[in-house]
Amino acid sequence: MSEFLELTVDKFTFRFATDRYYHPEGVWARPEGDGRVRIGLSDFAQQSGGDVAFAEVKPVGTVVAFGEEVASIETMKTDIVVPAPVSGTVAEVNPALEMTPEVISEDPYGEGWLAVIAATDWEADRAHLMDAQAYLERVREVAEEEMRKK
Amino acid sequence: MTEVYDVAILGAGPGGYVAALRAAQLGMRVALVEEARVGGTCLNVGCIPTKALVTATDLLARARRAAEYGVRIPEAAPDLEGMMAYQRAAVERLVGGVEQLLKEWKVTVVRGRGRLVRPDALAVADGAGGTTEVVVRHIILAPGSVMARPPIPGLDLPGVVTSTEALDVSTLPAHLIVIGGGVIGLEFACIYQALGSRVTVLEMMPNLLPGAADEAIAKRLAVVLRRRGMDIRTGATVQAVEEAEGGLRVRFTTAKGEEAVEGDRVLLATGRWPNTADLGLEEVGIRMNRRAIAVDEYLRTNVPNVWAIGDAVGGMMLAHKAMVDGRVAVENIAGQKRAVDYRSVPSAIFTSPEVAGVGLTEEQARQQGADVRVLQFPFSANPRAQILGETEGLVRIVCEAGSGRVLGVHMMGPHVTELIAEGALAVQTGATADDLAWTTHAHPTLTEAVLEAALGFQGATIHYHRKT
Repeated sequence: MSEFLELTVDKFTFRFATDRYYHPEGVWARPEGDGRVRIGLSDFAQQSGGDVAFAEVKPVGTVVAFGEEVASIETMKTDIVVPAPVSGTVAEVNPALEMTPEVISEDPYGEGWLAVIAATDWEADRAHLMDAQAYLERVREVAEEEMRKK
Repeated sequence: MTEVYDVAILGAGPGGYVAALRAAQLGMRVALVEEARVGGTCLNVGCIPTKALVTATDLLARARRAAEYGVRIPEAAPDLEGMMAYQRAAVERLVGGVEQLLKEWKVTVVRGRGRLVRPDALAVADGAGGTTEVVVRHIILAPGSVMARPPIPGLDLPGVVTSTEALDVSTLPAHLIVIGGGVIGLEFACIYQALGSRVTVLEMMPNLLPGAADEAIAKRLAVVLRRRGMDIRTGATVQAVEEAEGGLRVRFTTAKGEEAVEGDRVLLATGRWPNTADLGLEEVGIRMNRRAIAVDEYLRTNVPNVWAIGDAVGGMMLAHKAMVDGRVAVENIAGQKRAVDYRSVPSAIFTSPEVAGVGLTEEQARQQGADVRVLQFPFSANPRAQILGETEGLVRIVCEAGSGRVLGVHMMGPHVTELIAEGALAVQTGATADDLAWTTHAHPTLTEAVLEAALGFQGATIHYHRKT
């Protein structure tokens, strides 16, 4: 079971699973051994969208570089272009996304995972990712900036 | 009996009858040879009757949602006999309309099965042993197409139908299995599902609508249809149709191996072939391109003064393409020199939701080496679509990255078969994304989805945000 940090800004609460790493644009990456890295959207990223209508992940076999688009999430308000938090080859795509894409909103850290990537160099990519606490601080900055604009 | 005409046309489908009317407008004496009814496949067993069924089933689906709009329709249900009567009436009205036009323009309709006997003559058998010879200066071959019959065992079993029989919805199968996920197969799949049948679609290629739609749209359509309960298998190669208890079994292979599905009716919808057998073509020396009649860009065959149009020459087998071919061939006979230009021939697919497209798909544009940008906008963010309650769908504009020139427009969603006309105009006239973006589109209409997609070229889409 994952543990979570929480951040509340205004009337929104965001959760951060502590057992994984985060790309600054809100994609989490959790290594599972054998070079396999599972990825998904952070709670903050999925909340910034809206109800998920379609989630399109690049098919199994696609080679992606760190930062390159690996998925596109069409929500009611925005298209979230998901950058790969690790370089490698798409090994698995969450089959639940086609029929029940809302699982991304309901359980972004669990059943709402997007893909598993066979990483080419996890250690090198991990150096560019943040842990849960660092990502939480970044989200706090971004969220408070948006509050100030209102 | 022989008579002399300026042009004789073999086949009175959309290609043939449009050619006949245009030729008559230009003052030519026209003979139009037809063995069945004017209007050909399109009017009689194709476009028109299927769209009547689509209209009826769309109304049924909408009526079942009436409460959403504050309208009370207690028990919207299909009246299958009534639907057949409506379908027949639509066909009769249009066939009668074309007959009337041909009469007004004094086109001689010669009834019977025609054959090419010489480069300047057709022989028409009236079915009762008599033959009329029609001698002409120019001949336009417009015999159309027929259903393809792949070499799958079991296609002759009772319960296996083609699109013509599938138009008869007076009895519904509990489970319809559609072999072929192309335009015809999917339109019928949607019709039958709306009427209450369970539907399974088996498509050999990795995506639905292979060669007929942009891949991203085809993938999206599969998702939407699956969410509505249709069982769609792509990468499925059908091996055989067999008898099974209670109906038919279709055996197919996928990446997973051998599989089978059982139902009580099977619709064969694996495409159409040019109808060029037994028309005397080879005997007169007409060069063929496999089953299609070989033509140049002016629609000339290799035999002087013999032209060919429509489905019989292959390419996009669409009624409107045949109509344009008819106009091109006739104008060339009249002394013009007009080449065909198929760049802006749209495709309109009456599934639910509808799909439409014109020009190059993203894959085609990339394959041609173009530096491509794809601009996208979902109907979920379009106010008119939200009011209609039909928000599943999107507009995709494929354009040149530098100039913004529109190479193709592809859509899925409400009424896109109508909306695509703007895309066809853009492709035909070389318009750019900025041209579309600075053309004011009425509000609130579905057309604004095209506007907003085009605004994406300058990163100026207003009502949707694509976060990168």
